[in-house]
Amino acid sequence: MNEEKINRRPVKLGVGVGGLLLKNPVMTASGTFGYGEEYSPFFDLGRLGAIVVKGLSLLPRMGNPPPRIIETPAGMLNAVGLQNVGIEAFIAEKLPFLRQFDVKVVVNIFGETIEEYRKLSAVLTRTEGVHAIEVNISCPNVKRGGVVFGTDPTVAAAVTKGVSAETDLPVIVKLTPNVTDITQIALAVEDAGANAVSLINTLTGMSVDIESRCPRLANITGGLSGPALKPVALRMVWQVARAVKIPVIGIGGIVSAADALEFLIAGASAIQVGTANFINPVATVEILEGIKDYMINHNFKDIQEVIGSLNI
Amino acid sequence: MNEKINNIRINTGHIITNSDLAPGHFLLVIELPGSFPAPSPGQFVMLRTLDRAEPLLSRPFSVYGFRKNGDSAILELLCRIAGRGTKLLSLLAPGARVEVMGPLGRGFTVAPAVKEIFLLAGGVGAAPLSFFLQKYVKAAPVSPVTVFLGARTAVIVTALQSGFAGLCKLHLASDDGTIGYHGAVTDILAEELRNGGNCEGTQILACGPTPMTRALARVLDGKPVRCQVSLEERMACGVGACLGCVVATKNDQGETVYKRVCKEGPVFDIAELVWKPPL
Repeated sequence: MNEEKINRRPVKLGVGVGGLLLKNPVMTASGTFGYGEEYSPFFDLGRLGAIVVKGLSLLPRMGNPPPRIIETPAGMLNAVGLQNVGIEAFIAEKLPFLRQFDVKVVVNIFGETIEEYRKLSAVLTRTEGVHAIEVNISCPNVKRGGVVFGTDPTVAAAVTKGVSAETDLPVIVKLTPNVTDITQIALAVEDAGANAVSLINTLTGMSVDIESRCPRLANITGGLSGPALKPVALRMVWQVARAVKIPVIGIGGIVSAADALEFLIAGASAIQVGTANFINPVATVEILEGIKDYMINHNFKDIQEVIGSLNI
Repeated sequence: MNEKINNIRINTGHIITNSDLAPGHFLLVIELPGSFPAPSPGQFVMLRTLDRAEPLLSRPFSVYGFRKNGDSAILELLCRIAGRGTKLLSLLAPGARVEVMGPLGRGFTVAPAVKEIFLLAGGVGAAPLSFFLQKYVKAAPVSPVTVFLGARTAVIVTALQSGFAGLCKLHLASDDGTIGYHGAVTDILAEELRNGGNCEGTQILACGPTPMTRALARVLDGKPVRCQVSLEERMACGVGACLGCVVATKNDQGETVYKRVCKEGPVFDIAELVWKPPL
């Protein structure tokens, strides 16, 4: 070991995300990490800033019939259909496992009506071990003909207001990129009380089998995730970080520390790692170590020096 | 269940050999660290190439062979070129670095007090069954094993039968009639069941394309035969987190439940599978 390494002082990685204090900016993305159990054999989950669990609804959901996934260039499509055990089973059976680890637990929720979102928010507020709520507004509003909540600023604001009213937990609203101007949605949810925004969710995509001439997904369309998404996600994070005052969590094709740093530099206070977990179960900790190495090599003592430091 | 979860490794290894077994099929022999846990037959691994960016996701392969070799372990995977990802993996050269995660999933279990075992193999489905047979004949005492092996054409059947040769009674079938029975391999199995009389003591282990397992389910409908099938489905994570690889099954109440082929499977009791369209 050379002298430089011995004399290194630890870097400060703590970030605040709208009242949620994280020991480091690395989080897992909802839907890519289950409820933690599947990846626990590979590393100590307590090394992460936060785990965002698979999205939960009031009642259990079966999800879509298979085929649910297909690889696409530098990415994949998924139409899992929000299969989940339901909020009650999560609290009774899944949350106790997560609470064993020194990691913040963010519960992602979704509903078919604003009322369902409110109920979920209320239940989670009374639940020990939950540190924040992430609101998935990328699903269809059943009461309004199936238009996605997150594509209409007024509706997105209404969901946010409903969730915020029921809780004093930090409320993070997860934005969909399937809109014309994501900053409009971001501003609307900020105005309605969101403590932070996380973006992006998946981009809607499709794949066709030319031999059978059938869609490769039973649902026909699905959500695109993975490296292919990164330039779009990064651009949107940059735009939103300039538009709102609340913290922004960056998501979209992050597979390495360099990817994560792009988002932090562009204005994200924290990042979520999703598809990368499927390829490399220890991607999150490798990303964390890579961020530390970067800071040491560039003489940054505090991650806050990196966040939003884009030179333009 | 917990001991299985804790016995999964992610190891870097390299390709020792990659040989063309038959048109569209290749055999990878991979060297891994000796600490890689010994798989049980029916389990699989997730394989990805470390030297290239494509394919992005790991690909699942049933274990075809495994042995310890001093400080190393030798893993054999019999693969079929199914699409772009497996096409790229078929080009892996000796020395190429790979990452292997496993062993994964639930393998085959043979019920106690079994009179005879039938192995039904369709194409590359022969891989886990061949591994099963090699392990089974080393354990004692064993019941007699009969293998029913079918594939598209003679050159493929011949390549696949080497995994069973000399260890059991072997019936062959080919879709085009160039070797063995001309037709579906399930036809020969059905005939054997008819001639065998009481099949309560028979255990069937099957692996092959969906039309084969579907035909098998029809043949077995109503018969008191124990039968497990190893299924295949597109996977992303391989460990049960993404919920991409589900198959429809029915529970005791007759309700449809999605189970993960990577976690609750890949081996399932044929009786619990839900068929679309219905049989």
